Amino acid sequence: MFAHAYTILAAVVVVFLLAKTLRLSTELSMLASTVAGGVWHVFAWPGSGLRIFVPDNSLLRHIVEGMFTYFDVCLIFISATFFMTLVKESGGVAFIVRRIVKTFRTRRVVCLLLLTLVMLIPGALTGSGATAVLTVGALVGTVLSAMGVDDTRRTAAIFMTAAMSAAAPPINLWAMMAAAGANLPYVGFNGPLVVLSVAGAVFSMFWLAGGGKTADEEEAMKNLPMPPEGINGIRVAAPFVFLAALLLAGRVWPFDFPVIGLPMIFALSSLVVILCSGVRLKVWEILTRTVRNLLPLVGIMVVVGALIQILALSGVRGLISLKVVILPLSTLFATLFVILPVSEGILQYAVAPLLGVPLIMLFNMKGMDAIVALSAMSVLWPLGDCLPPTAVVGRAAVMELDFRGRYFGDFVKACLVPMAFVALCCTLFLIYSKQLSFLAF
Amino acid sequence: MDRTNRIKLAAVGVAVLAAVVASVEFLAMRNYRETVILGPSVSEVRKLSQYEPSLSGTPNDVNIYIMDSGKPGGTVMVLGGTHPEEPVGPIAAHILVENARLEAGRLVVVTRANRSASLYSRNGEAYPNFFRVKTDWGEKKWRLGDRGGSPLDSWPDPEVYVHWPSHQMLAYMDIRNLNRTWPGRADGLLTERTTFGLMNFIRQEKVDMLIDLHEAELEYPVENTIVAHEKAQEIAAMASMMLTAQEFAVPIGMEFSPKALHGLSHREVGDYSEAMSILFEVAEPMLDRIRGVTDESLLMEGKDDFVVEAGKHGLLYAPMDEKGWPIEVRVGRHLSTILQCIDIFSMMTPDRSVTVSGVPRYAEVIEKGPGAFLKDPAQAEKIAQD
Repeated sequence: MFAHAYTILAAVVVVFLLAKTLRLSTELSMLASTVAGGVWHVFAWPGSGLRIFVPDNSLLRHIVEGMFTYFDVCLIFISATFFMTLVKESGGVAFIVRRIVKTFRTRRVVCLLLLTLVMLIPGALTGSGATAVLTVGALVGTVLSAMGVDDTRRTAAIFMTAAMSAAAPPINLWAMMAAAGANLPYVGFNGPLVVLSVAGAVFSMFWLAGGGKTADEEEAMKNLPMPPEGINGIRVAAPFVFLAALLLAGRVWPFDFPVIGLPMIFALSSLVVILCSGVRLKVWEILTRTVRNLLPLVGIMVVVGALIQILALSGVRGLISLKVVILPLSTLFATLFVILPVSEGILQYAVAPLLGVPLIMLFNMKGMDAIVALSAMSVLWPLGDCLPPTAVVGRAAVMELDFRGRYFGDFVKACLVPMAFVALCCTLFLIYSKQLSFLAF
Repeated sequence: MDRTNRIKLAAVGVAVLAAVVASVEFLAMRNYRETVILGPSVSEVRKLSQYEPSLSGTPNDVNIYIMDSGKPGGTVMVLGGTHPEEPVGPIAAHILVENARLEAGRLVVVTRANRSASLYSRNGEAYPNFFRVKTDWGEKKWRLGDRGGSPLDSWPDPEVYVHWPSHQMLAYMDIRNLNRTWPGRADGLLTERTTFGLMNFIRQEKVDMLIDLHEAELEYPVENTIVAHEKAQEIAAMASMMLTAQEFAVPIGMEFSPKALHGLSHREVGDYSEAMSILFEVAEPMLDRIRGVTDESLLMEGKDDFVVEAGKHGLLYAPMDEKGWPIEVRVGRHLSTILQCIDIFSMMTPDRSVTVSGVPRYAEVIEKGPGAFLKDPAQAEKIAQD
């Protein structure tokens, strides 16, 4: 079985690299490697009775089934981006940006703290860094630009704060998925998660944007687009208030408020934007453009789901998990800050049940505090959202902020110091989880 | 037509072909009906919608098999299929329905407690759609399914699942997990309404003891054990001692139901009804994330090199060797544990005693295999379908 899994793993990697060499996109390369790994498994492991096409037990069923693993996440990406694009097109972003620059341009520390808070809220409520980028990233990015932060550092700041917002409580999808897999109640995580994510977000914002010059109001205003006539604070705030109200209602009145899901919440909030807009919005055009822009992101999520299913089918997923959990604890402490972000880049949220569950069980066995340890891991995972092949949040940040520099040479490089800070904090939380268990109240 | 459009057209063709082939399999699983032969003591088959009308017409309007001796006594209820990815529950439940003879009291069995969860396979896990048990008359086939209800029946999930009535926050997908939604809500989502209906049955029919059948990965600490509510601790402790001393090669433990962990049958049924509630766990290597090739053989034979390797590193809570955890061992353990708990309950509360015969115990199931106790539908007088 070991030889079989190693062979499939090799086939998947080789076909992926070959496809990339042939200049296929990351999505298509991954799809090719998924199919290759699956076909190899069908012929190399006949005992499963698996066939490629024949219904009842076909490889095709596994590929299609896997493709729907992140269906909900894709819907959230699309609906959240649609919402934010409508806000932009209605002139709301320009209005808010101008107001923030006008009010806070001379008080940099307060301004940065408020911007960090603005970045943290959407991800904390949804568990999605991409949602944070897509809803408030462009807005905050524009303010940073007006504050004299260069393109590279502001894109890095948006990514890092978005990553920390995804890790922030109350919703941390990695912790929730791993806890569910290990039958650990999702309770007591708020303390350790808030300490780590807020510390990481504040450090990132000040490290990356703390040193800029004070914005020249006249210059900044000149560069910012003029909002349409008739727009005011109430019209701009109404969709956000409505969005926040829907998000909070499900938590404040969980037994009275209907479960409508995040995609519907964003869709309804989009309706409010359209109703409150001072200009006539080309809704159909904005919608099709949004979907077209997000196709690479959605494509990655779809194919990653199929890849994971084939890896699980052929035993490769088990092999990877096994090799991780049999590492000595000291080695894990010394390597998790690399393993977790890298695996997140490959597998996205699926990494939580894949690596998180065996690791929680291992930590439990070793007498560590599972809640603190899982919280630390759940803050490390989103750091990998700028890493290939998925790089979902990183790509979203680059796309939203229209970053024109080099992805790795400039953007990822600028993130390294804040990442190291977060990694250090999380590793300390892992090592001293027992001593920090008081945070898990 | 230019080259790009030809490529696009070909891609659409491949996608449609894949969708058609996959759809045939998805529909085959969703529409497959499991045949249950009504055994000698089955006096009635009720629908859960009798106890929660909103379930009528939904996949979770499940059958409730009632075996009534016609003699005074208590009522014991057994739930199979709470988590369909744990196949021992439905198999053991079928064996009870098809073989049990009630001599006192009543035995109530649900073979598919969360039927919706058995109608689809979990994305990303590569589970087989079906599993089969060999019998003298051929193969008996079941749907495998997922841990939680199908999104086709309950969608979307909330951002976070807030458990009623404790307000404990749980993972969003657990709102479709039957063993996280007890005691349920009449106006909740499908799975919450299912547990609400089951609770109504338990209260109205004065169930004395609820037994919930499960399996667990070997990496999970709650393994090969009986988890008991305070009211059932004596029964669980005695059963654990007797089974370990007299029957099982691998001991069965006993654990207290945690008071702070909500939504589980062993906690909420005990808290919100007069019934004692207990839950059984047995090792199932296919549930381990570190498993190797995922297929029906692994599910039924319970043999896996990767899990054995993990055991060598001390990462497991159950012993694991090349013999694995075959289905006959797992089914046998659950059946013996059910019978033992019923015996002890009857001994402790003679006025509410339940006497069952005709059900095989551990040694007999291992010797003959579970298929030996599954009846041929072609020869059956009365059947039902799940």
